[in-house]
Amino acid sequence: MIVIVNTTDNKEISALIQTDLEEKKVEYKIFEADTMNISPCLGCNYCWLKTPGNCMINDDYEQIVKLLAKGGQMWVISDTALGFINHKGKNIYDRLMPIVTMNLEFRDKLMRHIMRYDTRPDVGVIFQGEADKEFLDTWNKKVASNMNSEPLGVYEVNEIREAIACMQ
Amino acid sequence: MHAVIINGSPRIQKNSNTDKILQKFTAGFCKAGNTFELYSLSDRNIWDDARLAFDNNDNIIFALPLFVECVPGLMLEFLETLSSKNSDTKLSFILQSGFAEGAQLRVGEKYLEILTEKLNCTYGGTLTKGNNFGIRVFEGAERDRITEPYKEMGELFAEEGDFFDEKFKTFTGPEMYPLPLRLFIDLLFKTSAKKAYQKIAQQWGCDKPLEYQPYA
Repeated sequence: MIVIVNTTDNKEISALIQTDLEEKKVEYKIFEADTMNISPCLGCNYCWLKTPGNCMINDDYEQIVKLLAKGGQMWVISDTALGFINHKGKNIYDRLMPIVTMNLEFRDKLMRHIMRYDTRPDVGVIFQGEADKEFLDTWNKKVASNMNSEPLGVYEVNEIREAIACMQ
Repeated sequence: MHAVIINGSPRIQKNSNTDKILQKFTAGFCKAGNTFELYSLSDRNIWDDARLAFDNNDNIIFALPLFVECVPGLMLEFLETLSSKNSDTKLSFILQSGFAEGAQLRVGEKYLEILTEKLNCTYGGTLTKGNNFGIRVFEGAERDRITEPYKEMGELFAEEGDFFDEKFKTFTGPEMYPLPLRLFIDLLFKTSAKKAYQKIAQQWGCDKPLEYQPYA
């Protein structure tokens, strides 16, 4: 399953992706997060220690994380701010914590969380606006590494076709 | 010296590890008669005051936990509302995490430099330190053992005015643990640490194994 979370109000990106993925005949789901109720992660650790695998915030993110638990790909479409994806895009990443467990191990010589599910989503970013692309790519790779998954890359909106080519 | 300190943790102040760290850091910072004002972004009601303090002061310390390799989304939301300043304003950072190795914090640290540049301020360095998860679950002397060293860092910051001194770098600890230590810690993770986490979970009212898979 390819999960696309569009946190911008640019519906044209979603429409373009939808058209291409229909042609590719792949399983996908697009969330228009800009009109959804998604709070920032509060760092309460409940999803690790009180209600394992479940976030205590009762909002629209649950329908996203349910799909991500089954692996596949997660693409976050985000506006930018201060050289990075903006807070709406970052919130989608921060709220991934329920698919991670409290337990730790060493992978690639560094301490990592053990993932909750055997399947993990590979992660990629499509951004519109000015950002430090090199940093964004480094960051996305580190996130994927910690989730024991693969980075799908970071793409500016005008590189959308390259991103779609990776959606499979 | 007067410092505006902004705690970027989304966790409510009473449970905030960053806040416990700041309690020690500020105790050291104030020893020589320095003063500070603290704003905790977990309370959105103070955001206007925090913004005003940012605008009207030139010695700002942001303290934050590492969230998914970077700044927490809630703190980013606040940062996006700030006005650009000038090089008279110095931004310094205290970046802390649960992961123990210094290498875990470097990507987040790099962003803090970018952030400073985007706000047109002068970078005052970042104090990085991991292995802080226990602050949340320990109390008293056990918690103090983790947080107390930040007092000395507060004193040193008061002397230096930034986080560039070699002692701050040493404070971080090892970038990566050597292999024998990794093997030993890995064994602990599989045995006593796992049991300890499950015990904490039970104390928090959890009735499921920590590996529970609600969406399997």
